Amino acid sequence: MIQKIIKPVSFLLLFSFLFLDVSVQPAKAQMIGTHTVIAAQKQEASRERVTAFLGRDDVQRALVQRGVDAAEAQQRVASLSDAEVTKISQAMDQLPAGGDGGLGTIIGAVVFIFVVLLITDLLGLTHFFPFVNHRR
Amino acid sequence: MHFLQADRQLLIGLMLLALSLVLSGCGLLSTGSLLQMPGGPARAIVDNVPFFAQEELQCGPAALAMTLNWSGVTVQPSDLTPEVFTPDLHGSLQSALIGATRRHGRVAYPITGSETLLAEVSAGTPVIVLVNLGLSWYPKWHYAVVIGFDQEREEMIIHSGLNAYEHLSFRVFENIWQRGAYWGLLVLPPDRLPVRVGEEEWLEAVAGLERTGQWQEAATGYGASLQRWPNSFVSWMGLGNSRYRLYDLAGSAEAFQRAALLQPQNGMPFNNLAQVLKSQGKQKEALSAAQRAVALGGPLVGNFRQTLEEIESKER
Repeated sequence: MIQKIIKPVSFLLLFSFLFLDVSVQPAKAQMIGTHTVIAAQKQEASRERVTAFLGRDDVQRALVQRGVDAAEAQQRVASLSDAEVTKISQAMDQLPAGGDGGLGTIIGAVVFIFVVLLITDLLGLTHFFPFVNHRR
Repeated sequence: MHFLQADRQLLIGLMLLALSLVLSGCGLLSTGSLLQMPGGPARAIVDNVPFFAQEELQCGPAALAMTLNWSGVTVQPSDLTPEVFTPDLHGSLQSALIGATRRHGRVAYPITGSETLLAEVSAGTPVIVLVNLGLSWYPKWHYAVVIGFDQEREEMIIHSGLNAYEHLSFRVFENIWQRGAYWGLLVLPPDRLPVRVGEEEWLEAVAGLERTGQWQEAATGYGASLQRWPNSFVSWMGLGNSRYRLYDLAGSAEAFQRAALLQPQNGMPFNNLAQVLKSQGKQKEALSAAQRAVALGGPLVGNFRQTLEEIESKER
């Protein structure tokens, strides 16, 4: 019973939140922020700003889905410019995340990759293994 | 016995395959000749970059901690982990490093290309670089901090992973940095401009400080920019906005007046000036500034009208 209601209700909520956010955006009596000044100097369309604004929620949600604490995700997104947010919102999983990522799981693939990387390391094309000395 | 033989055959096959893969991707083969800086010093090393050995997957926080400490912010890598690390990606995004830099009151200034890298290091600035230690189809993304180089020995000197002052040949560095799209990041005190600086890039980097509420640092950044480009409209606007947030109303009004002199046909400085004058209780002047903004119009005229209405409503 509850499960049946949850979906439409959450969609309704989601929608109303979207409207709430957007309707707050336009004309307010306030200082014109430096970001707007920069955007105006570059003659960027205000439409772009709205899409980036929607992108902020998406990015925040995506970060939470990937294990970042909700309050922290909000702060991270707030610290970025519109252009920077747009860049992440387009393809978070394709972006490089520096962390010396782990190995795959299939052993055959691991052996294969090990050999390839050992050779490329010896050729100086990669720097995968710390034990390969690359001081000339 | 059989098992061993099969193993060896498999290994040889794999090696041949690997070699052909490597050779087919000939774009990978670099001579390192790109790493040259004509007229620059033969060698350089940046002092005062503390080294932090990284924890597993935590090269982002480690690299950022090294550069932040160099810039005068005392912070440990473990303090930065919640700010930059994304657990499910097993790493830290570039944008997270940028955002965290701003949260600590420092200017995040991205750079690209070898010549710029060597120029900044020569000028005594360490540079965070994103490198791919593996291959494009099997990436091992990693952040390291370039702290020096030696052109004669063709070596880069980096703080990386568990190694302080690691010496890496130009050729290898060029290969792994190329796969990181030559992306580098400067973490700067707001009064220190990069040696290769663009006005627009610097202002965008400083405006980033506003997003994290670092108004004092932002004001310093705009001040530095005005020393370099005295007629920078955006710098005066930014300075006005920052001073307003710091409750320096007189200074803020002065900055917007300077901006208005530079672009007298632009309503934005008049709108903001009107707000400041209103806060100062200068009703008449506020009214005339707001009217001026509305008269000049432009895409933000809606905001200007709101400002005017608010000031008028106070009059009644």
